[in-house]
Amino acid sequence: MSDEIKTTALGRIGGAAAKAAAYAMMLLFTAMTLYPIFWLIMNSFKSTREFQVSQLAFPKEPTLSNYVEAWKMGDFGLLFPNSLIYTIGATVGIVFVSLLAGFAFAKIASRATKPIYNGFVIGILITAQSLMIPLFLEVNLLGIYNTRFAVLLVYIGTGLPIGVYLATEYIKAIPSALIESARIDGASFWRIFAKIIVPMSMPVAVTLSILNISNIWNEFALINILVSRTELKSLPLGIYKFSGSLSTDYGKQFAALTIGMVPMLLFYIVFRKQITRGVAAGAVKG
Amino acid sequence: MPNRNRLHGEEGRAYWSMVLPAFSIYLLVMAFPIVLSIVLSVSNYSGGKMFGGEPWGFAGLKSYARVFSDPLFWNALKNNFYIVLLSVFGQLPLGFIFAYIIYRRLVKWPGFWQGVLYVPNIISVIVVGLLWQTIFSPNGPIAEVMNDLARAGFQSRLEALFASVGGFNVDDGLVSKILDMAGPAALDWFSDPVPELKELILSYEGAPLSELIGDLCNLFVPRWSPEFLSKPNIAMLPVLFVILWMYTGMYLILFLANMQKIDSQVIEAARIDGASEGQVMRYVILPALSGTIVNSAILAISGSLSSFSLIFAMTGGGPSRVTEILSIYMYNNAFLGRPNLPLANAISLVMVVISFILIGLTKMAEKRYGGKEE
Amino acid sequence: MKRMIAAILLIAVAAVGGFAQEKVTLTVMNYQQADQAGYPEDVKIWQDFQAANPDITLNIEVLFNDPYHQKLQAYAAAGTMPDVFYVWPGARSAVIHEKKLAKDLNQLLGAAYLKDFSASATNPANQLGGYMAMLPQSFTYTSVMYVNTKLLADNGFKPPKTYADLKKMVPKLKAKGIAVAMLPNKDAWPMQSCLFSTVVGRMAGDDFLDAILAGKAKFTDKPFVAALEVIQNLYKDGILSREDVQIGYGEAAGMFASGKAAIYIDGDWRAGAYITDKASGKALISPAAQDKDFALMPFPAIPGEKNRGVVSAVAGTGWAVSASLPAGSAKEKAATRLIQYLYSNDVQAIRFNTGAYVPTRKGVKADVEPLVAKVPVFYAENPATCYVIDGVLDPAVYNVINDGLIAIGLGTKTAAQVAAETQAAFESWKASK
Repeated sequence: MSDEIKTTALGRIGGAAAKAAAYAMMLLFTAMTLYPIFWLIMNSFKSTREFQVSQLAFPKEPTLSNYVEAWKMGDFGLLFPNSLIYTIGATVGIVFVSLLAGFAFAKIASRATKPIYNGFVIGILITAQSLMIPLFLEVNLLGIYNTRFAVLLVYIGTGLPIGVYLATEYIKAIPSALIESARIDGASFWRIFAKIIVPMSMPVAVTLSILNISNIWNEFALINILVSRTELKSLPLGIYKFSGSLSTDYGKQFAALTIGMVPMLLFYIVFRKQITRGVAAGAVKG
Repeated sequence: MPNRNRLHGEEGRAYWSMVLPAFSIYLLVMAFPIVLSIVLSVSNYSGGKMFGGEPWGFAGLKSYARVFSDPLFWNALKNNFYIVLLSVFGQLPLGFIFAYIIYRRLVKWPGFWQGVLYVPNIISVIVVGLLWQTIFSPNGPIAEVMNDLARAGFQSRLEALFASVGGFNVDDGLVSKILDMAGPAALDWFSDPVPELKELILSYEGAPLSELIGDLCNLFVPRWSPEFLSKPNIAMLPVLFVILWMYTGMYLILFLANMQKIDSQVIEAARIDGASEGQVMRYVILPALSGTIVNSAILAISGSLSSFSLIFAMTGGGPSRVTEILSIYMYNNAFLGRPNLPLANAISLVMVVISFILIGLTKMAEKRYGGKEE
Repeated sequence: MKRMIAAILLIAVAAVGGFAQEKVTLTVMNYQQADQAGYPEDVKIWQDFQAANPDITLNIEVLFNDPYHQKLQAYAAAGTMPDVFYVWPGARSAVIHEKKLAKDLNQLLGAAYLKDFSASATNPANQLGGYMAMLPQSFTYTSVMYVNTKLLADNGFKPPKTYADLKKMVPKLKAKGIAVAMLPNKDAWPMQSCLFSTVVGRMAGDDFLDAILAGKAKFTDKPFVAALEVIQNLYKDGILSREDVQIGYGEAAGMFASGKAAIYIDGDWRAGAYITDKASGKALISPAAQDKDFALMPFPAIPGEKNRGVVSAVAGTGWAVSASLPAGSAKEKAATRLIQYLYSNDVQAIRFNTGAYVPTRKGVKADVEPLVAKVPVFYAENPATCYVIDGVLDPAVYNVINDGLIAIGLGTKTAAQVAAETQAAFESWKASK
């Protein structure tokens, strides 16, 4: 079937020329993408002095000391698990809570929906900077300053506007007939959520995960305000330690940045398969 | 049908139990800051303990007046506008094209391309900013190449000039010609150009001519500097380019995922009916994706208005504010030295209102041009 | 019997309670970063205090740059200031001074203690709030010419005494690929802090700035415009390269050390960048070379200057004690002990040794490398100081000056234009107060 489309498409678009143009564009983008990563990793093996002399050449005296010292000085052993906890915890939280609310907004009619839903949408436009001081005040008032709970709460809260918006829009498209027939069979709303909505919402769940995982992993401004104890800090705070106003210890900073980036890349390579699976699952419609 | 206006019993319980988690977290994390932001923006709070310290109160729309009368605000707004335009009319179409290319199997290894094109999104902006500064620095690679080129040109002209007077034969005429080649800016370096330059050249007597020529090059060849980085408007171009590179991948994935949801049978039917590629695009694919396009536009708009770290890492808003955007403008007023929170929050709320307007326009556009989902 | 036992128990408990020292916990905010010179020494300084004072527990939060300021703002807004914290004497810590969030150290430490510090450090007028919210650890000269005398001598020049001397050097040095002077201004503040302030002091003087603040003079008046024109001419005459506007602050030190410029203009704190790095044992300029081949000089005489030889200087950073500690409490006493420790001869000697600054505490001796040792000599040779602009003007105004100086460096604006813009910014700032 799909081969038929393929051959007719090629025939229409112009065959080799179109193919070549497509490859060229993609390759250009790829080169631009991979080079900075290569540059970063290459430079992380140079001492800072060497980097200041030549930023683009291969390291003449490669050294591992940047990694060792950066890891120690930045307490990365502590920060790493924290970043994992915050990123995974918050993303799961966002997806779950958004799907839940999305289901309610999309499929259960209520007058309360319009104002509450619009309230969420306003939140999409708020930046982290506006949140910094008010959140600090709140967190102190509630006595949850310097807790992982507060960090997770804040990360989930900031991801909800987009999450609820996308989830609601998506779930609206799920045929109501499915739900009605389940109701007639006597299923509770929660059961319907678990058995029907969640499996069918894989694509939007994946979308939300993509949106949030890299944002939270690299997030820096809010967590700086929310915690002060090193045991609770995340990777970006550790990485930031190495760039100052008077001088930057490039060697260690690059090592730190690579340490921060590699898990994301690895996770992403693994995760890529789930995208296809998730998308394929959503493509099957009843 | 049961009465839809009031939620009874089980429906009511389900609704509220499902909405409450999101709603309560949201209230806690975002509602209070939003309200506080509005209150601060019309206050005269000037620092210190906010609740329970020195009393502060209503100050009217003073901060807003300051914002709108500040040329730097309009400068930042204009730059943000460029980003919004680029995001909506650059990232989205590009992402769409890439998605389409993959979808229509114009290139092999769809998984690989998807993966690679999304990676820029993951790279920390600090890396991008640093690499950026390195490449455009006066000591960086571009400068090196440009300077070498300029120098080579100047050098050959000098050599020709000296050859034309037969070697080290220095007179006022020669000196004047050299000064002409050097350009007017160099004249300021001397109190009395011709005699001084003559004296300088004569001091090389006995040394090889190549040394003299080399040093004259050092002296007069203009050093390349990325001037466009300090010109308003033009300075935004490299920034826009990097933004395009960073975020297109995300839209690629969104569009591709939704394209793959389209029932292939519909496309086949259209083909069998003789529809061209363009017609399939217009009548099948685009309408099916209209929801996604709108969502992406909304994401793009809100993202481009709140974007901060990337530009901050690359240029810091400079030099001299030419690449400053609203979030950096707000940052400069909110945290450095003597923070002006009423002003910063006024800026923040203006940003929210602008986003609102843009998103409203987007939704209106969808109603007019978009199609049904299925 | 029971009563006796009870009584004995009571006395025993009271005795134990009385002998047990009251444990105090202090929160501290420290401004430090792993890559800064003197970082390991700093860590040790705090450890030593805790070891010597087991009855005081310190909760130290360490931040740097923007995150530091943001966090401090947040604490101020919440009213939960740390007990002891690092602070600037001027606008960078405006909130602390203006809202009186720090105790008056004059009262807390007492005049007898403060006698050991230089007059400029104990002068409350040097701080934004007009009282001693903190004690400056240094009184830093922001405008020093680091002169590579050897490089100049190799090219037949003596160290410059006048502006004309500088101009004469241009053709010959440039021909050798050497910049006459370098001032990296990508970050905007260096030109204003490290050179322009001195030029303003020479051409206009502190009285002029005071008059502007009092509304009796304008930025568009001759003296200020003349100062801007000096900067304009520095670029025009080739003494400063227009390229410098693209050079980042961290890049330039290495360039100067490798002979790319004959003169490097920066604050006195920069001496620390050239000395031996204790961790790697490497120095940008070897101590022997520091001694013989380099000199510290004030900016040469400028044609038309009113105040000969003044150099811009400003009180440096230091520590403050939170105003919310109850007077006479155990916490206040503990904080006082901590402060006295931080300003003690031993600790200040360690700081001096790292080349961070020259202490305001009198009589601190340390084994410093030649370049750093030249700094107090520089102070002594140049006693007349003038304002640093970002210490007396509001950010709303001096940011415009900073941007204007960059524009002058690029050649996109004239002195008159920048003066006009500055005046406009000043007037709108005044109106908004």
